Amino acid sequence: MKRARTIALIAGFGFFFLALAVQGIFPYLMKEARVKTVTRTVRTSLGELTEIRADAVPYSELLEKGRGVYIREGCWYCHSQYLRPVAGEDRRWGPVSEFGEYAYDLPHLVGTRRIGPDLTRVGGKYGDDWHAAHYFDPRAIVPDSTMPKFTWFFKKEKVDGKRILSEDGKAVVAFVQNMGMNKGKWRDAFPYQIVQAGSASIETTASLEHGKAVYERRCAGCHGDKGDGQGPAPLAVLFEIAQPRDFTSGVFKFRTTPTGSVPLDSDIYRTITTGIRGTAMPPWFNLPEDDRWDVIHFIKTFSPDFKQFPPEPPIMIPRLPKPTPELIANGRKVFEEMKCWECHGNEGKGDGPKSDTLEDDFGNRIPPANFTLGIFKSGPRPEDIFRTFMTGLSGTPMPSFSDSFTSPDDGWALTFFVLSLSADAR
Amino acid sequence: MDSSNNLVDKQVVRSWLLWGFFWAVFAPFIGIILSLKFNYPTFLSNEYLHFGRLRPVHVNGVILGVFSAIFLGLVYYMVPKLAGIRMYKEEWSKYAVWLWNGTLIASFLSLLLGFNKGLEVAEFPNPLPLGLAGALFLIAYQVFMTIARRKEEKIYVSLWYIISALIWTGMNLLYGNLVLPYTAPGINNVALHGLYLHYVVGLWITPAGLAVIYFFLPASARNPLYSHRLSLIGFWSLAFFYPFVGIHHYLYSPVPNWTQTIAIVSSMMLIIPVWTVVANFFGTLKGNWNKFQTDFTVKLMIFGAAMYFIGSTQGSFEALRSVQQPTHFTDFVIAHSHATVFGGYVIWVLAACYYVWPRVADGSFSVTTAAWSTWMIMGGISAMIFILIIQGLIQGTELMAGSEFVDSIVTMKPYWFIRTFTGITMDVGIALVGINLYVTSRGLPGVKA
Repeated sequence: MKRARTIALIAGFGFFFLALAVQGIFPYLMKEARVKTVTRTVRTSLGELTEIRADAVPYSELLEKGRGVYIREGCWYCHSQYLRPVAGEDRRWGPVSEFGEYAYDLPHLVGTRRIGPDLTRVGGKYGDDWHAAHYFDPRAIVPDSTMPKFTWFFKKEKVDGKRILSEDGKAVVAFVQNMGMNKGKWRDAFPYQIVQAGSASIETTASLEHGKAVYERRCAGCHGDKGDGQGPAPLAVLFEIAQPRDFTSGVFKFRTTPTGSVPLDSDIYRTITTGIRGTAMPPWFNLPEDDRWDVIHFIKTFSPDFKQFPPEPPIMIPRLPKPTPELIANGRKVFEEMKCWECHGNEGKGDGPKSDTLEDDFGNRIPPANFTLGIFKSGPRPEDIFRTFMTGLSGTPMPSFSDSFTSPDDGWALTFFVLSLSADAR
Repeated sequence: MDSSNNLVDKQVVRSWLLWGFFWAVFAPFIGIILSLKFNYPTFLSNEYLHFGRLRPVHVNGVILGVFSAIFLGLVYYMVPKLAGIRMYKEEWSKYAVWLWNGTLIASFLSLLLGFNKGLEVAEFPNPLPLGLAGALFLIAYQVFMTIARRKEEKIYVSLWYIISALIWTGMNLLYGNLVLPYTAPGINNVALHGLYLHYVVGLWITPAGLAVIYFFLPASARNPLYSHRLSLIGFWSLAFFYPFVGIHHYLYSPVPNWTQTIAIVSSMMLIIPVWTVVANFFGTLKGNWNKFQTDFTVKLMIFGAAMYFIGSTQGSFEALRSVQQPTHFTDFVIAHSHATVFGGYVIWVLAACYYVWPRVADGSFSVTTAAWSTWMIMGGISAMIFILIIQGLIQGTELMAGSEFVDSIVTMKPYWFIRTFTGITMDVGIALVGINLYVTSRGLPGVKA
């Protein structure tokens, strides 16, 4: 009897609790285990990016609901939620995970397997439209995906013949879009997603062929086999934020070339690499450079404009100044003089007097940008904003202001003023 | 031992084993469906049967269904034999059978309906896990009281493992299901869950599986255990090191680095119990290796010991940081879990069934079917872990080299396809064990499904 009791006490209870204490309870009792702060990238009142230590944010009711759906459907079996400082994960997905980010996760969902990609930093990478279409049919957008369809995230009734998300679906999109948001605007400062200047690539038969293959695997789901923006995804699910570009029109928003001109290859390269924030167009910085260049050659075959009217010379973007309170104040003056507020509203919330009536050249409703959200379609750098003022967004009501500025300083003042509108409250 | 055959409550052993045979058809079959979904994502995919809802049914079905049901049946065979008296309060035994298996059925239905606690291997919605814990405590009480009244003075090593496994897992089920989901959010929850997760494999499957092979290998080989000293070393090094390893599931995470290091060191130390017990098993056949050819129990147990050796050694090295850089999150880890859980423990308990079933059901079995089944199990699992290790290394290094993620999935697809066939081979073999044994005893009075 004596030995049975020894085994039970020492092996059974003793070692179990010893390990639990050393590996679980002691670490939990240490001061470091109480950390709830995160290194967060924020925009200052001067429109610049900086890092601060800030408290992690608890989940709202909607996010908790979305998290419940995420747990219920077992998303976490295939999608991990932690990024390691090794194996290139901080380049592929974003900054390495921090302790404080997880402060309100119960149960934790960090996971042990990646049949799909890690989702730690997925918030803001894709637009809500992309997520909706992807839940409805993952292979419509990513033909090689192995993810199940989540058609029960959608209402039975259709709008304009297309499906829209149910309450559960909206909640899970909100939860997924919130992932990594404790790190704030880290994506705006993410070096791999930023293209300073393009090199170039020469169109050959081989590059066109390769580009077509890339297009079919990565682009056709939204932009369609014919490049007309009528892919299976936007035909099945209602895109509420923006429609995929119709490449046959030859009209491109984000260019360094003047209004009316087709873009340079490097302009398209920049858009592909950084994506268009807030819309279904994701950043493709993980694609090999060859894939990105070759798909550009292929995309250009959709519109005869590229051959008929070669791009005009690009604008020069001068060296940017150091922002000061005076520059911001000057920017507000320019904002008023140029009547930016007519569309974008006095506070830059996109609610100006004309905002309800705007349409783009394709007849789609196009709300003016709400600058306070800090989501800039053309890119988050001052140069990106400046470029938009100088060249306008072709096909939209946003004109070029290159002739209206008295000097580049006006442009920079307006740029930093617009950026400062999304300053994070301290 | 045959002289003491009247010590065993045959009816309850049969009930447990039949439940085990049922789960051995069910849970691996779910695994086949899951593996098909890798290549055919829309296959059998709807709100209730998509990957995210089926996966926990497979994992829990194998651990708590196939393995545990058979093991608990074997407990009712081993304990009376080792103690020299009949089980304490035999009339209680049937309640544990129904409590355990009924809870499993209710739990799997709940998982399909979307009730999932969100913690791996602790998914069952509360209060269902209390049914499992209740059954275990009931069995533990019977076992301890039986041991306390035993006629044999010495406690054989199988009993040590059974005692510890029942204590550990009773506590662990309460800890994982009642404490973990409600306390310590964030990274603390990660660390505490890592411990729970590995307690399930390390403090339930491992000691339980070892108890089985320590009992049935010498019994079926008709050789004494090679070395009691080695079994002592194996037991105490396992009991000491295994509880510490859990956090190796979360290396390079924000979990405190020093706890990760302790987990890695303990994981490497586990080579001691693994190699000593394997040496002990092989030594037990010394001078009697012809049994390896003639006896299905011996054949499968020795094969399982080899798989256990490969899988566990892989597991130790897998815990090293440098090895985890490419392999973590990939099928390399899945190879480890299948090599150990299926290749080792499930094969051991199935092997024991070839010994026990004819003795509790007064039947025999078809040798041809058993030979087919054995070859399918051995071929299937060997091919599966081979391909999973290869594909894990390929995907891991491809991603480290900077491949786009979906491109690495494309690379994996042919391997996944082959994996499905290895799985089918293995699963048919496993199903045949139970079917073969059950069919031969059909029509016996008192044998009910």
